[in-house]
Amino acid sequence: MKTPLLEIEDLCARVQDKEIIKGFNLTINAGEVHAIMGPNGAGKSTLSYVLCGKPGYEVTSGKVRFKGQDLLSMSVEERAREGLFLIMQYPVEIPGVPVTTFLKHAINAVRKHRQEPELDTPSFLKLIREESKKLGISADMLKRPVNVGFSGGEKKRLETLQLSILKPSFAILDEADSGLDIDALKVVADGVNAERSDSNAMLVITHYQRLLNYIVPDFVHIFADGHIVQSGGKELALELEESGYARFVKENN
Amino acid sequence: MSGLLQNIELPEANLPWLFALREKGREAFLRQGLPTAKTEAWKYTRPRDLQVDDFVMQTSPCHCSDECDCEHHSHSSLDDALPFDCYALHFDNGHLRHEHLPLPRGVQIMPLSDAFSFADDIKSRLGKTLNLDKYPFAALNTAYLNEGVYISIAKHTRLDKPLALVYHTHSCHDNLFFNLRNLIVVESGAQAELIEYHHYSGAEKSRYFANIVNEIFVGRDAVLSHYKLQDEAFKAVHIAFNGVKVKGGGAYRSFCLQKGANLARNETFVSLTEEGASTEVNAAYLMNGWATIDTTTDVEHLAPQTVSSQLVKGVVGGEAKGVFQGKIHIAPHAVKTEGHQLHKALLLTDTAEVDCKPELEIFADDVKCSHGAASGELDEEQLFYMRSRGIGEDEAKQLLIDAYLEDVLNTLPDTSVKQWFASKVK
Repeated sequence: MKTPLLEIEDLCARVQDKEIIKGFNLTINAGEVHAIMGPNGAGKSTLSYVLCGKPGYEVTSGKVRFKGQDLLSMSVEERAREGLFLIMQYPVEIPGVPVTTFLKHAINAVRKHRQEPELDTPSFLKLIREESKKLGISADMLKRPVNVGFSGGEKKRLETLQLSILKPSFAILDEADSGLDIDALKVVADGVNAERSDSNAMLVITHYQRLLNYIVPDFVHIFADGHIVQSGGKELALELEESGYARFVKENN
Repeated sequence: MSGLLQNIELPEANLPWLFALREKGREAFLRQGLPTAKTEAWKYTRPRDLQVDDFVMQTSPCHCSDECDCEHHSHSSLDDALPFDCYALHFDNGHLRHEHLPLPRGVQIMPLSDAFSFADDIKSRLGKTLNLDKYPFAALNTAYLNEGVYISIAKHTRLDKPLALVYHTHSCHDNLFFNLRNLIVVESGAQAELIEYHHYSGAEKSRYFANIVNEIFVGRDAVLSHYKLQDEAFKAVHIAFNGVKVKGGGAYRSFCLQKGANLARNETFVSLTEEGASTEVNAAYLMNGWATIDTTTDVEHLAPQTVSSQLVKGVVGGEAKGVFQGKIHIAPHAVKTEGHQLHKALLLTDTAEVDCKPELEIFADDVKCSHGAASGELDEEQLFYMRSRGIGEDEAKQLLIDAYLEDVLNTLPDTSVKQWFASKVK
């Protein structure tokens, strides 16, 4: 018996006055990795922001259930504490807030919600050191302000570090490969793969097939004009790589 | 005329010079009256709006009855006010508490009223850092010259811990008005840290008016660090003027955090009188509700190779108003001087306001000067990023506010005093 983690029904959403998500349907069960592929401008990032509750992204109709609960009625932080996590395409820089301070606030907010005791400084530092080592994150990077002056690769490593310490039940990877060279991509993919389990799920958003060689999905969906136009197995991604998006986009116009 | 000026008999009226000085203050205040919207130096901060006229000068040390449950009657609990080791002088409702304070060699402290007769340099210093016709509240303060302390630090003395002036106000009766004048002399080669802490206890809504003037003389190659926390009751009025003269090679370093009162102004006028004198006038303000908090600075470079820097950061919420007026004046012969000023404010709500007036008067060539001002809001993208990691909205905002104030707090040396200030911006 499969347990649905995320159920999206007829979702429509807009940014300002522009309708971007138009009747989106998808159910993701525990243990599954889904990939969404689509051309630039199809609304892929909008979908991830809508799911996270970013201000300015307005849901006009439809339902989203996360672990059986109404996701859309939760605040941004409640969604995160319930186990929704977004690896952002362009993580923002936060001058003046050191990485360790930020991570400590985040992990303790999540632990508090799970009714687990807050981590004290020594156990927190131990955890961070262990996980950072696996991702090739230096001690110096942890002391710096969040993402300030980080290279594309360093930013994505920090996103992956957060994934590994916050242990979300559902992670969205929004163009996780953008700005990465092949070595950094492998490190990030290894970090993400290490978190895969039967109890959690992932949604990988990308417009290149390349990332899916490293994070192999169970299902691939083609996303165009605000909704899914075709679904299939991992071979669909390879097919796309050959034929391009034009065929799918045209069919819908 | 203003009810603030009453005929009160003050001690030591038999000293002709003191009597004359008080009269000069009284006349200067009568000539100017309270500042209005038309008074250029007060155009953003208008005391008249707050009807300060009905404040009443208190002459008796204790104003509370025995039935009163304000903390006036239990001094001891207030002694823990500062979490670091210091030489502390306490004021209760504007009156210096008379208690024995063991002091290291080279440090002399006495009530101002004793200093009138016993301090050799009092006549040559009192009133010499300020122009009575320019500062109406300092003129008013001069008319009431009596309360306060005289602090003198002898040549080459280095204080092992800070001196603290702790002002406890616990008015259980409305409209208390008090004037304080402190005279601080740091002689050549001496070094000291002075902490000023203004706070209240008891009724949060108590309304009082603290009018404070510090006159500070920093000798050759001497250093005075002056750190102030203004955390008055939210209906209080706090007007402070710091007049500072710095001699050659001397340094006056100040930081003032204002977070209390309904109307507050901390005004600092520093005169760098001889070659190599320097000053830092840094400040932060943190406000909510309907308060007006004003930081006004004026740095006068009167000699070559003098250096000044000012960093002022504010966080304004509610319907509050932050004011910064900063002036750098460089006299014609004051070449090779440097003056820098930066004011930045963070507005947390649409109804918060900040007014900023930088002024540069440069009459010399070969100087380095800069000034800048900026105001902004919390970054929505940063807030979203933190919230998307589970951090609550208020907690995320506080992290961003802490980050915003970090550079101005970092102007303080890395000690327990800095930790104390850092804990007060939460």
